[in-house]
Amino acid sequence: MEIRKIAGATPHGVGLNNIDDSPGPCCMSFGFDLKPLILSIDTIGLINSPVLIESGQGKMTIIAGFRRVQAFKYLKRDEIPCRILLENSVSHLECILINLHDNLSTRKLNDVEKGMVLSRLSLYLPESEILEHYMPLLDLPSRRETLFLFMALESEPDVFVKESVVRGSLSLKTFKRLLKMDHESRTHVLNLLSSLKFNSNQQTQLFEYLIDLKHIHDKSLSELLGDISIKRILSDENLNMPQKAKAVLGFFRSKRFPTLADAESTFRKKVSRLGLPKGVKIVQSRFFEAPYHRLEIRFREGEDLKKKIEQLTRSDRLETLRDPWEEGG
Amino acid sequence: MSNFQIKKVLLDAGTSLHIQTEKILSRLPGVPVQYIEGIRSKRNNDEFGSSAPETACTQDNTFEHKPRLGKDTLHLISYKGEFLKPCPGTREYICCGYQILNVATNCPLDCSYCILQAYFNQPNLRVFVNLEEELKRVLHVIDSEPDRIFRVGTGEFTDSLAVDPITCWSDLLLPAFSKRKNVVLELKTKTTNIERLLDSKYRDRIIVSWSLNSPYIAAREEHGAASLKNRLKAARQCQSEGYILGFHFDPLISHPRWKEGYLKTLDLMDKYIDPEKIIWISIGSFRYMPGLKPIIRRRHPKTCVLNGEFIMGLDGKMRYFKPIRLDLYRFLRENLEKWHPDLGLYLCMESDDVWQKSMGWSPGNTTGLSHYLDKRVLKIFG
Ligand code: SF4
Repeated sequence: MEIRKIAGATPHGVGLNNIDDSPGPCCMSFGFDLKPLILSIDTIGLINSPVLIESGQGKMTIIAGFRRVQAFKYLKRDEIPCRILLENSVSHLECILINLHDNLSTRKLNDVEKGMVLSRLSLYLPESEILEHYMPLLDLPSRRETLFLFMALESEPDVFVKESVVRGSLSLKTFKRLLKMDHESRTHVLNLLSSLKFNSNQQTQLFEYLIDLKHIHDKSLSELLGDISIKRILSDENLNMPQKAKAVLGFFRSKRFPTLADAESTFRKKVSRLGLPKGVKIVQSRFFEAPYHRLEIRFREGEDLKKKIEQLTRSDRLETLRDPWEEGG
Repeated sequence: MSNFQIKKVLLDAGTSLHIQTEKILSRLPGVPVQYIEGIRSKRNNDEFGSSAPETACTQDNTFEHKPRLGKDTLHLISYKGEFLKPCPGTREYICCGYQILNVATNCPLDCSYCILQAYFNQPNLRVFVNLEEELKRVLHVIDSEPDRIFRVGTGEFTDSLAVDPITCWSDLLLPAFSKRKNVVLELKTKTTNIERLLDSKYRDRIIVSWSLNSPYIAAREEHGAASLKNRLKAARQCQSEGYILGFHFDPLISHPRWKEGYLKTLDLMDKYIDPEKIIWISIGSFRYMPGLKPIIRRRHPKTCVLNGEFIMGLDGKMRYFKPIRLDLYRFLRENLEKWHPDLGLYLCMESDDVWQKSMGWSPGNTTGLSHYLDKRVLKIFG
């Protein structure tokens, strides 16, 4: 569709009192920090003027530039230069597209904002057109499920969840999982994620464990997360936040992989009992899958190396190091 | 008889003139036929190009519906790729040196653990109608190496007999392979579609094999497959009609009371099968590409096959943590050997140390295992 050419329109000063205070139906702003914009406008003035539309009784509605209007208000200015569209001169879809292109030309949209764009467009455009033209414009793959995911993010009622996605403390993958959860599990997960700062990989890992355990033990996520050991970890004052996150993951890992966790711990104990010389390390093969472990020796010179090797060969405990699952391992 | 139904036939450009197409369509009266032109037919060379199927996304997703993989759609294709290919083994584990005769891809059965769900980039039961012409080329390759034993199977990318009542491949393959002394053809199945085999007069160099599991896994995870009892009854019938049998305990699945379960299967084998005329029994545990997991979760939400302790193997595939595999293998081996000491047992895609610890010996490498299996061929067929 052809968007009305407004770039060349001459801006006119509009009294801030005459501009509707709400973000307006086309606004695509979420989770922004106004301070840098205020500083910029205060320092060098307004470069790109907002676009308004007359909404009757002398009032104006914002089509594009909500943040700029807010910045002007913060700076206690009386007027702001704006480009004005006449009432009924543009369709609602045109207004949305003006806002979209105005935003795209100046900044990157965050995920909630992308959801806002897609939800608004979906009121006017067929799905196929959104997938084909607008998803790539937003740097998103042209997939239905991605479209629905972003629209679900926009309509998410919990602002904390949206803010967490924007901040990056809740990955989109995790958000998608939240959509499938019952209220109780969701609350448990959100509490855990907000009290411990898991990075996105850790979130993925945590859910891998939780979902597997849910299937294996036929338990709900809230039952799993309500485990007394988790409560203990969370209230342990000797652990800082990253340590707690690691401990929680470790707990679920050992529940998910009891045989592996057991083997690793037995192997570690065995190695520590070997009394290896200083600077000598035994590195277990990953998951014990490769047939060999690795011996690492740190040494200064040949003399030192020889001493360490001799010490090693004198050790009568080395033979006790076997596969941890074998009898007496 | 086949217990699934073809609801639609797709014909690629050019296949309608094919004699095999005509024969297949005549066995599917009343099934709607749709002609496909252009892009699709160009993609026939790309059967193995991608690790993810078109219809299945590789991520757990709220908004997708269960990918159906077109299991009721028969897609007739003139396949332009290689018909005879070595089994894609890996350096890290010992492979059996098998050759795959590629007659079709995908399968009308729907085992929850089936790797094909994540393997092909094209849905539908894809049947290669140019098999007859291409078979000449395959046989030429086999004939050109008379001192080598070719162990060939059709059951890697599909079930060997599931669509045999429609395609009648056995009519074509049995005489061709039976005539040759340096080859065996293994037809691997979970069905009871043996009618055409029993009607055939060819037996030499043909192995009919059944994949077996515990009754729990067979009933719960092998959707559309014949019951264990019926598989073994069909095997007995083939055996009594002079066919050499093979069995495959692959994938072994660690599940509650698995020992009891696998013993029940062994009891059934004892009841129906004469162990003397078994060429080999393979043992392998469930392994999968990581991308298969979300597909299984989505397509088979009630499955138990993902419940075990899987770690990433040296080949990048997920497999049971070693002591679990050792337990499974040792148990099967000990009990199979109690049944009969010479069953041609071998492990599928395992390492030398796992062989040693579970089987008590190791072929050392892929060449060693190939020799061992070739010797089984010579022993049984001469
Ligand atoms: S029979 Fe084999 S090919 Fe068919 S679905 Fe089962 S595992 Fe897959």
